[in-house]
Amino acid sequence: MCNANDTQPRLKRRPVGRSVEHLEQLMDLEHGRMSRDVFWDRDIYEQELERIFARCWLFVAHESQIPKAGDYVSTYMGEDNVLIVRQKDGSVRGFLNTCPHRGNKVCFADLGNARQFVCNYHGWAFGIDGALKGMHASSAYEESGLDKSAHGLHPVAQIDSYRGLIFATLDPQAPSLAEYLGDFRYYLDAIFDMDEGGTEFIGGCVKSVIQCNWKFASENFVGDILHAGWTHDSGAKAMVGGPVAEVHKFPEQSYHVNFNGHGWEFNQDIVGNAATLGDKEIMKYLYVLQPKVAERLGELRSKMIGAISSCTLFPNSSFLPGQNTFRTWHPRGPGAIELHTWTFVNRNAPQAVKDAWRKGTMMTFSPSGVFEMDDGENWEYSTRTNSGFVTRQQDLYLGLGHETRLTDTGLPGNVYRGQINEANQRAFYQRWFDLMEAPSWGCVPQRDVATMEVKA
Amino acid sequence: MSAVARLPEIPVDAETQRRIEQFLYREARLLDDERWDDWLALMAEDIHYWMPTMENRRRADKLGAYALDRGALYNDNRLDLTRRVSRFKQPSAWAEDPPTRHAHVISGVEVYQGERTGEYVVHSSFVNYRSRVERDNDLLVGRREDLLRAVGDSFQIVRRKILMTQSVLMAKNLNTFL
Amino acid sequence: MAEPIFLIKKSDLDAGCVRRVECGGQALAVYNLGGCFYATQDGCTHATASLSEGEIIDDDCIACPVHDGTFHIPSGQAMSFPCEHALRTFKVIEQGDEVLVDLEQEADEAADAI
Repeated sequence: MCNANDTQPRLKRRPVGRSVEHLEQLMDLEHGRMSRDVFWDRDIYEQELERIFARCWLFVAHESQIPKAGDYVSTYMGEDNVLIVRQKDGSVRGFLNTCPHRGNKVCFADLGNARQFVCNYHGWAFGIDGALKGMHASSAYEESGLDKSAHGLHPVAQIDSYRGLIFATLDPQAPSLAEYLGDFRYYLDAIFDMDEGGTEFIGGCVKSVIQCNWKFASENFVGDILHAGWTHDSGAKAMVGGPVAEVHKFPEQSYHVNFNGHGWEFNQDIVGNAATLGDKEIMKYLYVLQPKVAERLGELRSKMIGAISSCTLFPNSSFLPGQNTFRTWHPRGPGAIELHTWTFVNRNAPQAVKDAWRKGTMMTFSPSGVFEMDDGENWEYSTRTNSGFVTRQQDLYLGLGHETRLTDTGLPGNVYRGQINEANQRAFYQRWFDLMEAPSWGCVPQRDVATMEVKA
Repeated sequence: MSAVARLPEIPVDAETQRRIEQFLYREARLLDDERWDDWLALMAEDIHYWMPTMENRRRADKLGAYALDRGALYNDNRLDLTRRVSRFKQPSAWAEDPPTRHAHVISGVEVYQGERTGEYVVHSSFVNYRSRVERDNDLLVGRREDLLRAVGDSFQIVRRKILMTQSVLMAKNLNTFL
Repeated sequence: MAEPIFLIKKSDLDAGCVRRVECGGQALAVYNLGGCFYATQDGCTHATASLSEGEIIDDDCIACPVHDGTFHIPSGQAMSFPCEHALRTFKVIEQGDEVLVDLEQEADEAADAI
């Protein structure tokens, strides 16, 4: 469905800049140690914008958000504002949301349907394909010989989708999306392909600001179920009348899995996450669906559909099965993020079940949600304490679950025993380090080799 | 879209206006004082407590900034509100300990007759200022549209629609009612 | 009144569609609105733009593809920002399967409007 934009030279990229020195001293993952500088240092942040956010495949939209030609959403890739637009031929394109004339933001709406995008400043008008079609007082430009064909909106370097999730990258050299996700697609299918109708986003986007480093949010969802039992005790008691399940007591049936820095912690209790929404219809729906998913994807993945679990797609998009919140942590400097959250559901689910999820997701995982409410403060102060000059010279611990690697499960990716673990977090920071060190994609060490097909 | 169908704005007598203003001011004080159960008692059994999130759409976009089936920070019935209150009361509600200091400021109260006898359509604007630990200060400003029902010698809130000005909530959470 | 000139075959322009036709040294936009044919100048009166590349909206208006200003097709009147000046319209004559145009006469609706 999504074709790569073929006008790549229109998007200029400067040669990669100089790296912050001695990045290798920031972490000793083997021994579960890392520096706090990665959460505070401005130079490191600027390098992240270049080598992480302007390089990786980032989630930009769900297909269901832009079904018709001209439908668009305005979102961010790092701090770059982009428009993601459905084309007349059904493909999707992405453009920097900035006018090539004097740089003004072109589209001020969050979403909508457009026949064209017109800049407020001088009336430059762009088609939904990004082409410059004309401008106010056009004769003045014609007299100056402006070449309209060379001044369209700047396209993203590549755009593609997987199971309804649209990703884009600002790096023409990036590997294909299939390669970038690699074997992690096996696990993604447990949520985004559990039902033949696929998924859709419902209910719009809830946005908020958290004064924390983006990596605290990403690392939390990549593998940290451990915090739930303590941080979210009050939310669990509010929603289900009891504490969070004591998952640390049952490591045999739960895992950390990761690939290319993407990570998923999960157990096989089918509905553990979903149960926290406190809605019986959702539980019934998942229990009835589970045997069908088992036929479709096998027993293990059928037990992941609403289980106690969380996932981050490197670098900054995450979701929770069962609670059905999908979210992107857009960086806003080293000490802030803008959080965008959506509710996803199976497209074929009954309307009443979709409605229950829309409500339940926001009741639990939105800024007013009884679970999310306690996350923000943890991440804000994990960030803010590092303003202390001496404080930030003290290393942090990230050593849970050494020696838990499993090699005989037959599951794709790197698999670890027990969801109470920090293996995924270490893999996340390893990927972060690899990308931060590498001057180009070709220099990124290929630690994980896909066994699934990666050709487009 | 509206929590209360548009009715002709028929004013009420000064005494009713005064009693409803007092009711809303008292409600604000209960929230400032974290008297959650007393606050909950002001909500009718059939309460719909709704605070949609705002989308930036072009004026020509007929879908408007918010709708019932879109994003919301609150889209609650009585059970939902009870659950939220029960979280506030847990010793493990970390984001409330030490306590957040709240100031709920209510003004511009307009009261009109509702569709049924003993029901009132009440408009008000709010300023909510929260201070937490040392330097966490969050300001939220907006407008409310309530449907109140006379119960005994007081009132209950049957519908509340809360419209805030922010489209991106400029805070890590929303740990109060408005 | 000038000699009517052949513009387009009816069967070549579906209802709800617009097409650019060069005729008598000028560019015309020819419209089929539910079986009734109309012709206006093709160039937008606001900025350089070909209206035939625009979209017919609200049954009988053309939205300019560049700034989305609109004109009422039968009368040529400018309907919405940023368009302010009316389009030149032309009287069309339907003859069997053919649509002819009189380049010297406004459409009846435009004449009525004035």
